[in-house]
Amino acid sequence: MNEFIQVFEQRQDEFWIKIWEHLQISIISLVIATLIAVPLGLILTRKEKTAEPIIQVAAILQTIPSLAVLAFLIPFFGIGQTPAIIALTAYGLLPILRNTYTGIKEVDDSLLEAATGMGMNSFKRLSKVELPLAMPVIMAGIRTSMVLIVGTTTIAALIGAGGLGDLILLGLDRGGDLNLILLGAVPAALLAIFLDVILRVLEKSSAKNGLRTMGILITTAVVIAAAPFLFNTDAGGDDLIIGAKLNAEPTILINMYEQLIEEETDLEVGLEPNLGKTDLVFSALQEGSIDIYPEFTGTALVSLLDRQPDSYEAQQVYQQAEEGMAETYDMAYLEPMQYNNTYAVATTEEFAQQYDIETIGDLASIDDQVTAGFTLEFNDRQDGYQGMKELYNLEFGEVKTMDPGLRQGAIENGEVDIIDAYATDSYMVELNLKVLEDPENLFPPYQGAPLMRQETLEEHPELEEVLNQLGGKITGDEMREMNYKVDYEDEDPADVANDFLTEKGLLDE
Amino acid sequence: MITFENVGKQFPDGTQAVRHFDLHIKEGEFITLIGPSGCGKTTTMKMINRLIEPTEGYIYINGKKVKDHPLDELRWNIGYVLQQIALFPHMTVEENIAIVPEMKKWKKEKISSRIDELMNMVGLDAQTYRKRKPSELSGGQQQRVGVVRALAADPDIILMDEPFSALDPISREQLQQDIQSLQKEIQKTIVFVTHDMDEALALGDRVCLMKEGEIVQLDTPQELVLNPADSFVKDFIGGRKSPWQTGIDAVMSEGRISRDGTEFITDEEGRWEFALKNGETIDLPALTTDATLKEAADSLQSSESEALPVVSANTYLGYVTYETIVTYLKRTSEERNGGGIKQ
Repeated sequence: MNEFIQVFEQRQDEFWIKIWEHLQISIISLVIATLIAVPLGLILTRKEKTAEPIIQVAAILQTIPSLAVLAFLIPFFGIGQTPAIIALTAYGLLPILRNTYTGIKEVDDSLLEAATGMGMNSFKRLSKVELPLAMPVIMAGIRTSMVLIVGTTTIAALIGAGGLGDLILLGLDRGGDLNLILLGAVPAALLAIFLDVILRVLEKSSAKNGLRTMGILITTAVVIAAAPFLFNTDAGGDDLIIGAKLNAEPTILINMYEQLIEEETDLEVGLEPNLGKTDLVFSALQEGSIDIYPEFTGTALVSLLDRQPDSYEAQQVYQQAEEGMAETYDMAYLEPMQYNNTYAVATTEEFAQQYDIETIGDLASIDDQVTAGFTLEFNDRQDGYQGMKELYNLEFGEVKTMDPGLRQGAIENGEVDIIDAYATDSYMVELNLKVLEDPENLFPPYQGAPLMRQETLEEHPELEEVLNQLGGKITGDEMREMNYKVDYEDEDPADVANDFLTEKGLLDE
Repeated sequence: MITFENVGKQFPDGTQAVRHFDLHIKEGEFITLIGPSGCGKTTTMKMINRLIEPTEGYIYINGKKVKDHPLDELRWNIGYVLQQIALFPHMTVEENIAIVPEMKKWKKEKISSRIDELMNMVGLDAQTYRKRKPSELSGGQQQRVGVVRALAADPDIILMDEPFSALDPISREQLQQDIQSLQKEIQKTIVFVTHDMDEALALGDRVCLMKEGEIVQLDTPQELVLNPADSFVKDFIGGRKSPWQTGIDAVMSEGRISRDGTEFITDEEGRWEFALKNGETIDLPALTTDATLKEAADSLQSSESEALPVVSANTYLGYVTYETIVTYLKRTSEERNGGGIKQ
């Protein structure tokens, strides 16, 4: 508990910003969903034949996993709040639409006949009879949507929309840092409860006058949603946006890019860290919402280009990737840094000593006693466990698949004996893990290098010289050390980047 | 006031609900539409306020086609009472009543005093019930509010669609009586749909009996009972009788001298011989005991006498006068609150 309070105090400023972002995204989405679904529901009650198909479309939208919706939207809307709001709106439609339709349909026919017989026109009938009577059902739909949206907004963090999901993702990335996860999850839940109370109060007053309540709801929401835009002065002024995947390492790297570029050119640089996984970030780069991001040579070749490396020599992998990116995607891939953040198989010092293990091949003799903790991705990849089995002729007794952030906890607790790891992960230092040698070159080299669209480079040719200053720099140890500072000592990635650049003389003090 | 001119209604599914319907309803008249279910009585009524549009012919209100009246104004001036009562459950009693006056842009004070007036007229204490929700009222009270709501904006015409059929028998009878006395006070033109013959006969100035979309007989309750047009009407009326059909034994007075001084003379064995009036012998037709009040009245009228003798197998039993007939009819009609028809 104390630790939790400490984490809260450390991140208080950030925390309030995240809450505000979360509230903002949620409410904008909810308002748009309401503005679409309520009138649509009303129209559908007048055109019953089309009602069921349209409600089914909304139901289908609901079944698509939220992450998939986000990924699908990036090529059209890039990253940030816009695609997040579109996805969340699509998510919120169904309950409101269905409840509006049902609520209005369930108004007793005799009441409608009475209203018509008394000389109410269609609008009057709607506002004085149908809406007030259907309002409790409609509000129930809005409340359901609200809970859905506030909950799902945490995922929006993956495409740079911000919100409390940032804290949760960071916590997951740091090996399941419970305090950070709670700092994101608990307020998200409280936010949902808080909004639910407000909506319930509104619902009570809506029994009296449906239209007025709807008006108040929408006006308030629009004010809350619009307020940040009015005060938001830092949007749009950047010449370049540099993105990064979710992790300490790319975050440190893009801070270095930023500092170098701003030092040596007149360009204004904006950062979009913690953008989720490869596919999302690469889509964002193609679409243009970001201009540069650091990508690994191995990933560029194997995942993005879907090619097998011709050689396992680092320089050749880079060249193959660079040519491929230029041909296939018309992208420029600048010089890689020195460290190789490859997949690695790691174990504890004790385990290594006990069975006298130095290389992956050494595991073959005891393979049926070994419990491995692998990520789903590693378990399935040819340059992962599948390839490992063939190349080193082994088959582990048990393989537990888990989220990347959980591997370190599992090996720390002794639940597993070996894990797949990234060579520069900070917990390698913290947990004193041993990386097993890979004499058969199972894993291609994974060197970080700036990836950008060719047109960006043509527009700002000076970038090549600036960013290539990092080419061949940063050793594996240096990278691990910097990651450790950010992940475990909670230093600001910008400061860590600055210290390194200054130390190396790339930046004036 | 309301005129149907060769009105027909065919629904999209082909059902011919109403055909060749001609009817003139006079101002202030209470007309009941009755017939077996599916006879088109409700359709006929709903065509007046255009909840249903006729497919043939025209309906006129005050000489103007209903479809030429602005729709909302037409409906504001036609009160509508539904079988399902259909008070708006989210509004209070007074809000329900105020709907049409508000649409007609009446002043607040006028609406408020109108609510008081009408509620008290139907026996609901305005102060007690104004602010209540419909759900807090009994069925009978709810339909009283329903009637008040229809009357609220002082319409010329009231349409009532089986308004009392959903109520329990006691409330129904009370409301029937109340609507009769109310009608005496307000003198609206009322079109009242019902499937209850007693109700139709009791309430209507005229009864319009329908079958398969056509009028079978349009008459006063009396005429309907006394002179049914055909066997269908007779069956529909069933065992109902007019007091005029009562046997004269119910009104016969015993004795030899009536109040107007007519003396009835018999022989020694009690056989009817002649009558004496002002010392003169007069010949009067004798009524037999199986004669009805109507026959007695007819005979009284044609004989120009104040009293007639009643005989059975020539034996003198008593006499009948206009006065006894009128006294009897008055008493029976008081029992039924002016209905005049009994079962």
